[in-house]
Amino acid sequence: MTNRVYILHLWIRLWHWGNALAIIALSITGISLHFSDPNLPLVEFSLAARIHNVAGVILAGLWVVFVTGNIVTGNWWQYIPKPPGIIKRCLTQMKYYGSGIFKGEPEPYPPTPEVNFNVLQALTYWSIMYMVLPVVILTGLVFLYPQFAPDKLFGLDGLLPIAMLHYIGAAVILLFMVSHIYLGTVGPKVSSLFKMMLTGWYEH
Amino acid sequence: MFSKISRKLRGALALLALMAAPLAFADEPPPSPEELVKIQAANGKCLTCHSEAGLKKPPKEGLDLKKLRSHLVHLDTYTASDHGQMACTKCHGDGYDEHPHEADAKDSLSECQDCHARKAMRIERQFDKSVHAENLSETFTCVTCHDAHSMTLAAKLRDPHKIVAQDNKICLDCHDSDLAFAKMAPDKKKRPPIDDIHDWLPNTRLHWKAVRCIECHTPTEDKLSLSHEIQNKDKAEKKCATCHSANSSLNARLYRHLATEEQNKYGFLNSVILSNSYVVGATRSPTLDMILIGLFVATLAGVIGHGLVRVIMTRLRRSKNHD
Repeated sequence: MTNRVYILHLWIRLWHWGNALAIIALSITGISLHFSDPNLPLVEFSLAARIHNVAGVILAGLWVVFVTGNIVTGNWWQYIPKPPGIIKRCLTQMKYYGSGIFKGEPEPYPPTPEVNFNVLQALTYWSIMYMVLPVVILTGLVFLYPQFAPDKLFGLDGLLPIAMLHYIGAAVILLFMVSHIYLGTVGPKVSSLFKMMLTGWYEH
Repeated sequence: MFSKISRKLRGALALLALMAAPLAFADEPPPSPEELVKIQAANGKCLTCHSEAGLKKPPKEGLDLKKLRSHLVHLDTYTASDHGQMACTKCHGDGYDEHPHEADAKDSLSECQDCHARKAMRIERQFDKSVHAENLSETFTCVTCHDAHSMTLAAKLRDPHKIVAQDNKICLDCHDSDLAFAKMAPDKKKRPPIDDIHDWLPNTRLHWKAVRCIECHTPTEDKLSLSHEIQNKDKAEKKCATCHSANSSLNARLYRHLATEEQNKYGFLNSVILSNSYVVGATRSPTLDMILIGLFVATLAGVIGHGLVRVIMTRLRRSKNHD
């Protein structure tokens, strides 16, 4: 008999999957636009540009939903690691990923309705959602309305720093996405956390 | 038809003149400082009437001011232009010496090919295939687009923003004005609204500030200069990646005069473009690309490796438990 506990509300699950789809669409089209090659297009340039624009605006809208939802429901508190012992819990978590997990040890801080995330998760999610993603969204919006970009900066086109920030920020999100999907497999069963993300229930 | 033959005839005559005893060359040496003073003094006489000041305060009574208004020359623009060191009378020859000018003075006006014979012949072949020749062969001449009092070669302007401003103005003066378009266009031909027919191009007007109409509306086969075969929408370039890629065609077009000297400055691909415009897909840093691709591959390898070790360890534990 498995125990199950309800962790994730519908709104945050809907937000999560909408966000995931938007980021996947943005990653594929963004890579295609940046490494554009007329002889070897991943997605044809003008189509990629259109998809990227639409998905980008959707992502910006979803970010507002995320922030508003967190404020309204009080869910923002989940992303703040609580003292004492933050560093110790970080190290324990890292040790688990580095060795305990291979020995079949149980997850040191499994999700509970009170504390959804382990410290590493909370810190990473907070940084991605409140630091990296806003940079990518804001620079993306400037790209959408380039007339607002500075004309010149250090003798180069004013869009250059915007483009660099957008590119580096997006790359960080892509790296996060790869690790995030993989860490989705480290629940009690490989499918447990994906199931939780769909149903809201954590089975253990 | 007749005009085509006559143009060809004129071209041939111009070539003959070029081979025999040319009076003027496009590439003749610039005037000496003394000659220049004389030229400027002579031009000054023309400008006493043919300038804004002359129009405001006509030096003579009884001038046809309406006619004069359409024959003004801006001294600074003229001086900065390719013909800026030439005397007005070099082109405006017989009949223009005195005022009032002779009634048939216009007939003796020099043609572009009188000096630019070789260029004119090359351009003529391209022009004959253009959309302008197709629809307006009777009326369209060099000066329809190229005002000899203001044009400056792109190679001389160098700054892409200035080149774009000069060249797009030529196209937009007609194609963005119903009045000017109607003057040239065949009867019943309505001017297609320029923004509407380009609405597929994102940030249309911003594109037009950064690149020229002819970037897309001419073929690239001519290596000496940009082709004069202006193409309509059926033949014009519509593939974004032609410019938006590492091997951007802008290098052979707008940036052809800068491409060799500034290439790969700052460690960016197409850095010569970068100093003017950030062009997605064309201006990128190969070093940054390599770092980020490297990080991506490392992350992917990391999670795959971690996963494999997990699978192997789980199997080992299971087989141990069975034992």
